[in-house]
Amino acid sequence: MNAMLLPLSLGVVCVLSPWLAAQEEDDWTISADMVYTAAGAPIEDGVVRVQDGKITAVGKGGGGSLEVAAITPGLIDLGVEIDTGLYSVEQSRESAASLSVADALDLFSFQWKRELTSGVTTVLAVPADYDVVGGLGVVLKTGGPATLEARLVRADAVLRGALGTQPSSGNNAPRFGDPANFYYRRPTTRMGVEWVFRKAFYDTIQGEGVTEPAIAADHDVLRRVLAGELTLSVAARATQDVRTAIYLKEEFKIPHMIIDDAVEAWREPELLVRSGASVVLPPFPADGRVDDGFVNDSYFVPLEAARMLHDLKVTFALSGHGSREVGTRLSDQAGLAQRGGLAFEDALAAVTLTPARMVGVDQRVGSLEVGKDADLVLWNGKPFEPTARVVGVLLNGRLVLDPRPASR
Amino acid sequence: MKNPKLPPAARALCAGVLLAVGHADGKLVIEAGRIVTQAGPDIENGRIVIENGRITALGKADEVEKPWDAVVLGGPKTVAFPGFIEAHTSQGMDRANENIDVAPFLDIRDSIDPVAYYFEDCLRYGITTVNVQQGANCVVGGRGMIVRPVGMTVEELTVRPLYGLKLSARPKNGKSRATQMQALRYAFDDLKHYLEDLVEKERDERGYAKREALFQGRDLEEEKAQGRAMGGTAWKVDGLDLIPRGALDEKFAPLLDLVEGRYAAFIHCADPLDVAHALEIARANGFLARTTLVIEEDCWKAADLIAEAGVPVVLEGALVDVRRDPVTGEEQETFVPGVLHDKGVRFALSSESPSTRAPAFQAALAIGRGLERAAALDAVTKVPAEILGLGAEVGTLEVGKLGNVALFNGDPLSVTSWVEHVVIEGKPVYDRSKDVRNKQLLEGVQPANTAPPSKVDAPDPEHADEAGKEGAQDEKKEDEKKEEKEEKKEEGGGKGGGR
Repeated sequence: MNAMLLPLSLGVVCVLSPWLAAQEEDDWTISADMVYTAAGAPIEDGVVRVQDGKITAVGKGGGGSLEVAAITPGLIDLGVEIDTGLYSVEQSRESAASLSVADALDLFSFQWKRELTSGVTTVLAVPADYDVVGGLGVVLKTGGPATLEARLVRADAVLRGALGTQPSSGNNAPRFGDPANFYYRRPTTRMGVEWVFRKAFYDTIQGEGVTEPAIAADHDVLRRVLAGELTLSVAARATQDVRTAIYLKEEFKIPHMIIDDAVEAWREPELLVRSGASVVLPPFPADGRVDDGFVNDSYFVPLEAARMLHDLKVTFALSGHGSREVGTRLSDQAGLAQRGGLAFEDALAAVTLTPARMVGVDQRVGSLEVGKDADLVLWNGKPFEPTARVVGVLLNGRLVLDPRPASR
Repeated sequence: MKNPKLPPAARALCAGVLLAVGHADGKLVIEAGRIVTQAGPDIENGRIVIENGRITALGKADEVEKPWDAVVLGGPKTVAFPGFIEAHTSQGMDRANENIDVAPFLDIRDSIDPVAYYFEDCLRYGITTVNVQQGANCVVGGRGMIVRPVGMTVEELTVRPLYGLKLSARPKNGKSRATQMQALRYAFDDLKHYLEDLVEKERDERGYAKREALFQGRDLEEEKAQGRAMGGTAWKVDGLDLIPRGALDEKFAPLLDLVEGRYAAFIHCADPLDVAHALEIARANGFLARTTLVIEEDCWKAADLIAEAGVPVVLEGALVDVRRDPVTGEEQETFVPGVLHDKGVRFALSSESPSTRAPAFQAALAIGRGLERAAALDAVTKVPAEILGLGAEVGTLEVGKLGNVALFNGDPLSVTSWVEHVVIEGKPVYDRSKDVRNKQLLEGVQPANTAPPSKVDAPDPEHADEAGKEGAQDEKKEDEKKEEKEEKKEEGGGKGGGR
């Protein structure tokens, strides 16, 4: 295709230049010393062909219009924390299952570009965890036109919930003599949070309060969770919160659950395996400790946590939490997981195909296979090693980060 | 003990240096699949012989004789690398900052905590030489020192006592930039006025300074009993030769050393404008030639100024400056070592950088961002050694230099490689297989005999059932958490004070 285009373009460049420009932007043949497809064995001296936003060929060969050291699929982050903080979550109710973060996302935020240029092409966005049941999350691309339609990969991909200290943070028990304000409300403790969670599901099963439309809508969403049509993503960091999440899963027989930001999930291997829940690990801190941030407590995650979960055959993904600091982003997490003993291919899966499967978008993204979205990350060395970095990114077949001027 | 194999030049060096080689007995041989000497090409299948703390032979394994009585470390998969050098840190101290604005009379040695977690971490990362200086929350800080991160007493740690004075161009807490600059200028003005007064008094009533010093019990023997004309290049006080050096107030003596160019200065700069201020003070008082700037990432904007002044820098901030453009709101990433390299600034990377403390990781990240491999490796070995005036002692693996070696189990720049052993002056001081805290960091398992005794060890007969067991385990976890928290507090205190 490219070989045919070249003489053609020389002849009619004046007439057809706008058309050609569009063609060139969408059609790429990229060769690399190593192509890591995440869908099979890596291909040495491989080539990936991209047309009209989709991958049209993956295989052996060279001589592409771009040549780099390595290609991986676009990275996928389920814990990117790219919300609008308090403004992405309704705080007048503790359970707001039918609200969607899609209505509160700022697609003009500068953070999207940070993710995109560091290789993250698809993310799961969820409401901030100030509610017990925060609302619906969406899977979307990190670039392209700043409209939800253009970026959406999957609407209503998960229902977000949160355990632990954050949902009750800022709340106070009503006190005699003080004027009433918004924050005099429950829950104020871990057990209160769990109670709200449980009540939301009991009310749904009992059909409590369905005369109110908002509550009826919430019940519809929760019923889909109970029926296994919707995945429940629960933030649970401390060991006790991980346990609570699993007990809730078992109590209400929730078929699909992701335990997000699961700092201490590794401490409960038997429960994890028994429950069948999948896990999103937080970024690895340098000293293993994650501060609670809301109460004076910290949680511990060892470097081998990813390897441990892999050995237990627990489905898990890594996350970057939208870090600003170079050296601590999602691609760096895949390196640190290897430092903890995880094999390269498993680390690659944990930032590509596995998260795609966890939120049900693996038909479109997550690996380099013919027919999938042309989201590619181009590297100047072995991916995830500190001596290499992301030099190029293709999103839906468009070159959004060009490796040529930067590759030095 | 003199070594006949040592070249004369190296032997002369050994005799001349201030370095206190504490532990020196025995011979050590390091076998390595690869030796990164940093002094020439890498050596495949190499061997290093260290005797009495110094490297006495180094080369291909089949060309270097192995002493029959030497301890042997390493193997074919080992990669030997010169011990990393930390050109500046404010960690490893009880508290990093003194409250007094101008405190050059203080000595860091009184504050150093030999069992600080920081020194343990240094070994984990293969750091063998550390320059400890007061924190940046000062105007003129106390005098620092160069240490090796191993030992139970400050004496054992000491490589070079009384080395370097910390100054800060960034405002100390509670000061504006203007008052900080004023305080810096006044520090040297005060010195000048003090010396002038002293000389005047000496001329008016002979022996005043000497009598006062003796009255205060200060020793005036040997060179301290001698007066000496003021040295240095900036400003001078005439008649200083009338005053015995031992008669000078200890509060001012270190500052005078600085002005006379006999002491090194480390000036902290948080923002680009601090760089100009730091250079102004150093120029005005004649210690520019002995100045190192300790910079945060934003200071790349002042790279031209730094290059023009010809001073080296220690990059204490992040490798990549991530900042939003005030006009467009777009986030810009600037690779700081790249800018410094292009402008011809000599720079050392620091493990203080927030992403991780390992210098090997910093160097690797810098290479990934496009810095030449040699420049990146020099920035964690040779350049910091030169900054500290230890270029002839450490920083490369060469015959005659100190036997400071980090032994990796793979490519030092790979994320999967670990420091397996560390050798400082020929003595094996770190073995990863015995590093219980690293094991905990990796596996999350509290090693045996490091936690307070819990009920698990002594089961209560009443609660010997399943539930009781679980409860006991929970309690143990609580204990662990408490311990972690306490450690955190300690560390947090040290760090917080450092900035």
